[in-house]
Formats: sequence, structure tokens, C-alpha cells
Amino acid sequence: MALTLRRNASDRALPYVLLAPAVAVLLLLTIYPLIYSIRISLQGESGNWTVQNFTRLLHDQFFLSALAHTLIYAVSALTIEFFLGMALALLLDTQMRGRAIYRSLLLLPMMLPPIVVAVVWRLMLNSDFGALNGTLKAFGLHTESLTWTASPKLALVSVIVADVWQWTPFMFLILLAGLQAIPQEPYEAALIDGAGRWQTFLHVTLPLLKPAILIALLLRTMDLLRVFDQIFILTEGGPGFATETVSLYIYRTAFRFANFGYAAAMSFVLLLITNVISLGYMRMLQTRD
Amino acid sequence: MSRFLKHAAVFLAIIVTLAPVYWLITISFKREVDQFAAPPKWFWFAPTLEHYLDAFVTRSFGGYLLNSFIVAISSTAGALILGTLAAYSLARFRLPRHLDRKLALWILSTRMFPAIVTAVPLFLVMRDLHLVNTRLSLIVVYTGFNLPFVVWMMRGFFAEVPRDLEEAAMVDGDSRLGALWRIVLPLVVPGLAATAVFCLIVSWNEFLFALVLTQTDDAMTLPVGIAGRVTQYGIKWGVMSAAAVVAMVPILAFAISVQKYLVRGLSLGAVKG
Repeated sequence: MALTLRRNASDRALPYVLLAPAVAVLLLLTIYPLIYSIRISLQGESGNWTVQNFTRLLHDQFFLSALAHTLIYAVSALTIEFFLGMALALLLDTQMRGRAIYRSLLLLPMMLPPIVVAVVWRLMLNSDFGALNGTLKAFGLHTESLTWTASPKLALVSVIVADVWQWTPFMFLILLAGLQAIPQEPYEAALIDGAGRWQTFLHVTLPLLKPAILIALLLRTMDLLRVFDQIFILTEGGPGFATETVSLYIYRTAFRFANFGYAAAMSFVLLLITNVISLGYMRMLQTRD
Repeated sequence: MSRFLKHAAVFLAIIVTLAPVYWLITISFKREVDQFAAPPKWFWFAPTLEHYLDAFVTRSFGGYLLNSFIVAISSTAGALILGTLAAYSLARFRLPRHLDRKLALWILSTRMFPAIVTAVPLFLVMRDLHLVNTRLSLIVVYTGFNLPFVVWMMRGFFAEVPRDLEEAAMVDGDSRLGALWRIVLPLVVPGLAATAVFCLIVSWNEFLFALVLTQTDDAMTLPVGIAGRVTQYGIKWGVMSAAAVVAMVPILAFAISVQKYLVRGLSLGAVKG
């Protein structure tokens, strides 16, 4: 402290006193439940200790296919959202009249409640009266086979469409912020060197944008791997189990079959997967030079 | 030419963004014959308010709406009070062994937890405490949900306030907390308001915990109420759309009110549970 303030015992305690309530609440809502679920995942029906819940995972077809759905969902949505978000960010990084309004409008979907997004896409994709099929039909296309959320083949595509619609704006937002933080000088240097637009993008923009790209991908990956809301409301994991992701299977195990121990074991696997992947991203972020 | 193409591309993106929402709004105002019309009626139909009356007067969506408001406002207040105090401490005091920085990172990392991981044990704990199907359980959980975000946003806003201001007040005989209350807080009110709005959005939108913790009309929030109707047979599309439009309106109002902080808040992952 620059000033000679009286520093008695209560002054020294103040930083901790201010932090204590928040830390206590977070401990109670994250660490305590975590310990609780370690315990229930390792306990058998008679209260004995066992790793049964974890070994069972390896042979559980529902779990393995839920894992596959989650990965397909995450990789496809991430790829599409990244390229669309990048294209939008590059478009709006240029001088354009009304840019601020365009940006706000484009950000709308990511703020909507997931329930509203799901209702919107049920209305768009419904095969009887949905706006999408109706409009396609008006252009003379055959839509009989496009039953979207009701079709085992197209259901996963449908939930990915809804995710892309809601979360491309987030990708766009982070990438645009990254683009606007790049100084002008490297571009001027590239111009003097006679670099073309494509070369400039590849050798100037992309390397300087790498931190923003990695952060956007990291945050989206975390959310995609745990996806629950939209799928639950759009398809409830169906038809059959065609769109059941790990989060949905955990939910079904815990709250339909009341098998809390097994659900807890699965949630550890999910936690482990998300942590390993985020560590990978972090490492790439640190070695960016 | 290229300028024309650029505008055309942005225009297309905006159409794709807004058309589905517009479609939802039209369905909520359409009579059933118009809802199922082929080809779809995008523009011309005779509007009706029957679905809104059906949802909020005849059915119990009015109660869900009230629950949503109570839970969102209480949990936002809770997170703001606890989070602001913690943020002030982290912004102003250096603790031994970099404890302040470690704590700040830990607080942020609690946000990275997949919700489903804590949903199972929290449900069991709430059941043991007989708090399932109460608004209190959701208020507690959402307070914790929003805390990391409040701490990080407010830490940034506090750091922008010069230390000299409160130190001058303290030389004049104010206590540290007195200076925080009378000198620093008034300066960060715009940031505090923006942070509050983001907390309101998160609590308002949250689905998974509301689904797990509330199964009766006493505490059920609007998203769970709507979802309950979605998954039934013989869906009332008009009622569902009307309720969804009502769930969307506060979000639009919130978003407009924080225009200036939108990018900062959204980049910090403000609106994700």
C-alpha cells in the first residue's frame, strides 16, 4: 500500500472475509457434489466398494453409441460453425454501413433460451406443416422423404442444424473481436511486399488470429460435448436412440431408471473427455509462437 | 460489384438468422387453419390472440412465468452481492503465494463443469434436504451458476477505478467498506447493471437444472413448462409458440439494454449455463 494506513488484524482479514461467501457457495455447489458422486459411483447396491459401474461402461452399447453420437455431433457442428463464423467475421470486419446493427441482429440466436430455439426448429422442420418443407415444396422440390426429426437418418442432421443456427453467432463474435484486435502494420507490410489477398490472409491474418480461433474452438467444443437442452427438447434422443448423446443418456439413467451410481460414473467419463480435450487446446494456445 | 456481393451475403445471413424466429411469432398469432396451411403463409393471415389467452389464462403458464421471474431476480441478486464482494477483494488485494490469482482461476474453472455432472449429485442433495420442487433450490443453484461470471466481470470493472479515489476517502476517515460503498460502487454502476442483465438471461434461459429440480407447478419455470407440452402427443402448437414468444420477449429487452457491453459479456460466455 502506498499510503500509511492503519493495518490492524481486521484489515488483514478483510480480503478473505470478502471472498469467503462466494468461495463457500462454489465449494458447496461444485466440489461437494463431485465428492458425493465419486462416492455413489464407487458403491454397489449393498454399500460395498466396487468399480463395477466403470467396467460396465465398456460393454454398454447405449453408452458407446451415445459417445459416437456426441462425437459426430460435436465434430460436424464445430466444423460448420467455424467456417460460417469465420466467413461472417471476415465479411463484417470490413467497412460497411450499418455494421453495428447487422452484428447485433446476427448475435440474436445465441441469446435465446434453448427452449425457444427448440420450439422454433420443431416448427421449421415439422414434416406436415413446417416452413422449411413447405417452402421447398413451393419451389417444386419433393419433400416426402424429408421427415427431419422423425427420421432415424435425418434426426442427427436436424439437431446439428439447430445447433449451427444458434451457435455460429458465438464463433462469429469471438473471431470478429480477434480480427479487430489485429493492428494495421502487418497488412501494410504485406501490401508493400506485393502479397495477394489470399496470401495475406494465409500468412498474416491466420497466424495473428490463432489465439482467438483456439479460444472459440475450445469454448464451443466444451459446450458441444455436453450438449443436452436442444436435443432433449427437439427429439428427446430419438427416434429410437438416434440422437441420444452422453448427457442425455446420463439423464435417462439417473432420472428415468434411478440408477444414480451408474449415471455418476458416466459423468466422470464425460468430465475426463472434456478435460483432456481442453488441455490439448490449452497446450496449443501456450505454444502459439 | 464486390461491395454488392458483400451486402447480399450479409443480408442472406440476417434472413437465415431472423426467419425462423419470425416464423415462430407468426405461428403464435395464427388460427389453426392458417398454421397448417400449404404452402406456408409467411405474411398474410388473420391474427388472433387466442393462443396467448389459452396459455396464460386457461392453462398454468402464468404461474410458470411468475416462477421464472422470481427465480431469475433472486438468483441474480444473490450472485451480484456475493460476486461483487469477492471481485472487489480480487481486484484490490494481493494475497500471499499468488492465492488471489489462483482463486480467480479456480472460480472461472467452475464454469467449465458440464452441468449434467453436477445435476445428478445436486438432485440427490436437494432431495435429502426436501428442497426438490421449491423455487429456493433453483435460486441457490443459479446463484452458484452466475457467481464466476459476476466475479470476472466485476473484477475487470473494479480494476478500471483508480485506487486513489478510495484511498483519499480512507484518509478522510472512511473504512474500506465505507469507501467501497460510497465511492467505488457508484462508479461501477453501469458495469454492475450490465452484469446483472447477463445473470438474468442465464437464469431465465436455464433448462437442465430446472427440469431436474422442478416437476410440479409450484416451482416449474417457463422453459420446463413449455418442454412438458412439447413432448406430449397432440401438441398444441399455438399454445407452445405463444409461451415461447413470451419467454423470448424479456431476452430482447435485456439485450437492447446492454448494447454497449454486449460483446464483452457475450465473449466471456455470459449466456451459457
